[in-house]
Amino acid sequence: MVKRTARLIAAAVAAGVALAGCGSGDAGTQASGPVDVTFWGWAAGYDKSVALWNESHPDIHVKYEALPSGGQTGYDKMLTAAKAGTAPCLAQVGYETFSTFLAAGVLQDVSQYVKPQRSEFPDWVWNNVGVNGAAYGVPVDTAPMAMFYRADLFKSANIAIPKTWDEFATAAAAVKAANPQARIMNLPTDPYLYSGFAWQHGASWFGVKGDSWTVSIDSAANAEVGQYWQGLFTQGLVTSYPAFDAALYSAWSKGEVWSEVGPVWSASLIRDNAGDSAGKWSVAPMPRWGTTDAVGNSGGSSTAVMKGCKYPKQATEFALWMSTNDQSVSNLIASAAILPASKSGLANAALDKPESYYGGQAIYQLFRDEAPKVNPNWQWGPVMSATAASLGDGLGKVPTKGGTYQDALSGAQKSTLSALQAQGFSVSK
Amino acid sequence: MSHVTIRRRGRARELRRAAPFVLPFLVLFVVVYLIPAGYSIAQSFFAVKRSGLGLGGAETVFAGLDNYTRVFGDGEFLGSLGRVAFIGVIQVPVMLGIALILALLIDSSVATGRKFFRVAYFLPYGLPGVIAALVWSFLYAPTLSPITRLFASMGIHVSFVTDGALPFSIANILTWAWTGYNTILIFSALQAIPEETMEAAALDGCSGWKAALLIKVPLIRPALLLTLVFSIIGTAQLYNEPVTMKAVAPNLASTYTPIMAALRSLSANDFNYAAAQSVVLGAVICVLSVLVFRASARSVDS
Repeated sequence: MVKRTARLIAAAVAAGVALAGCGSGDAGTQASGPVDVTFWGWAAGYDKSVALWNESHPDIHVKYEALPSGGQTGYDKMLTAAKAGTAPCLAQVGYETFSTFLAAGVLQDVSQYVKPQRSEFPDWVWNNVGVNGAAYGVPVDTAPMAMFYRADLFKSANIAIPKTWDEFATAAAAVKAANPQARIMNLPTDPYLYSGFAWQHGASWFGVKGDSWTVSIDSAANAEVGQYWQGLFTQGLVTSYPAFDAALYSAWSKGEVWSEVGPVWSASLIRDNAGDSAGKWSVAPMPRWGTTDAVGNSGGSSTAVMKGCKYPKQATEFALWMSTNDQSVSNLIASAAILPASKSGLANAALDKPESYYGGQAIYQLFRDEAPKVNPNWQWGPVMSATAASLGDGLGKVPTKGGTYQDALSGAQKSTLSALQAQGFSVSK
Repeated sequence: MSHVTIRRRGRARELRRAAPFVLPFLVLFVVVYLIPAGYSIAQSFFAVKRSGLGLGGAETVFAGLDNYTRVFGDGEFLGSLGRVAFIGVIQVPVMLGIALILALLIDSSVATGRKFFRVAYFLPYGLPGVIAALVWSFLYAPTLSPITRLFASMGIHVSFVTDGALPFSIANILTWAWTGYNTILIFSALQAIPEETMEAAALDGCSGWKAALLIKVPLIRPALLLTLVFSIIGTAQLYNEPVTMKAVAPNLASTYTPIMAALRSLSANDFNYAAAQSVVLGAVICVLSVLVFRASARSVDS
């Protein structure tokens, strides 16, 4: 009996060890054979770039695992894996979440490995993957914003494409006058989409003052941006579908919503979801605040090197290659519609390709020209998922008139401060 | 003395015989239930400490009951408990009432097409919860809903996703998905009632609805109790439906239910606080279940 029990326990333990073994991706010794680097991501085309690398680099084998749910769920999985010691070597991390990962202590400083190629990326982009000049990953893409619009409808209604937000408000009224069923745009209530509008206006959310954080989501500049959209909504000049909702896509297709001021990745969002209006869309620069020639950014991501990665040098080498290699970048532009962060990537000929969905316009040329005008001073905070969830909850109440932009901003300010304090960050007023 | 030895030997033999049957359960129970629960409880007494910008990572220190103090002062979390309580109080009695009636109907001697109805009632449960919630989301979405459109064509404007309507919209999905499941549970209990009992009742002049309510229902108390406890637990752990509906109802808060609130803390990298929230939810469910079992035991005695 005792013997059998002991054997059972031994078997169970062995099974447990075997199971645990499955989780840790990058086992192996440095001395012999190719090294294995695991990489978690979800963007389209990453798998293909990895395959290209593996073909030409037999010494460093990258094992790509797609997280099907992506986004927030993907980050939860990475953080949990890091806690359990089963994190991958590399992870696709959006700039907005990078500080959160840094604060969680799950990333590895790879400044020494990126140093030789630092000048291949603009300085402001490096600020998104580290603090005080250190780098914990490699930038992949940025997401400057522009105005996507139905060229056919604006033309037939004889409405000029707005160059400033004042003109945009005037155009909004003109669109409604031209067709009472139509509106110029959908209200931006997704917190990260909205952040791009704040970014453009220099309405920072976070800052660093000495050794502590500052939070300014309820600042005067932010109130100005919020009031602008609240105003358009109150006057009934915009639709208020949920972001990324089928109803919005159908309104784009049917010409009930005439434009979308959004980041570069909106290009594929519109193309893939409003197929009926193919060929009728064009892209113009984002409307400006008065005479300030600044653009917002909403998105962009990096390949972060996670703590516990046994081969940070090799992992960084791959990450740099993925963001700069001509073939890899061409692939990412074609499949994920990204705007490369690297200077060599921005020179990629794939960006000059005319897009048939956009009436033959080479839309990425416009984004390439706008990229240097992205406000370089934006700083993300260390508890972004709390900030975004709270802001999203607040903005979600605007369409049903359960709250205003101002309420949402104050709510996000309050809950961000309490999240920071609860987690022991120092905050200065 | 010898008597005791024999008895002890007998027990040892019994245990040995039972081991292969019990061990698989015990091992799984310990590995996937007790250990994680114990880990969460342990985690809930710790907190992370950082200094300054906190970007160098954090150290975990013992925090006593700090996380619990935070839980009971957290309006959003307490609100989420209130919401599931509200949904549960409305939805559980309605669902179990319908399930009981349906089960009695297919169990009654006059019922025809019993097999068909049994499968038909059970069918919604066969659909994965998220898929069901997705389909209902489309039926609720203000701009896509055929129901809203139908009402609008009659000049009546309804919305299923206003703050006030949301608990009822969610309760409706739950009822749709789970009534059949409970019907089958109750129905199997009804099938277990010996035929003689019902014959005796009929001889005494008790039949039809009267027999159903006075004889059958008291006899299937244990099954009813089980469905009640399952339903309470299910409602307290509400997650799939509200999360799926959030896509069409942005006014649905990201902390709408306790599990959503705990997951939000997890996303915010606030692991220890998420653990405390989970422990409080677990404790509430535990206490509720015990109370229900107790209350019913007492009413049986009286």
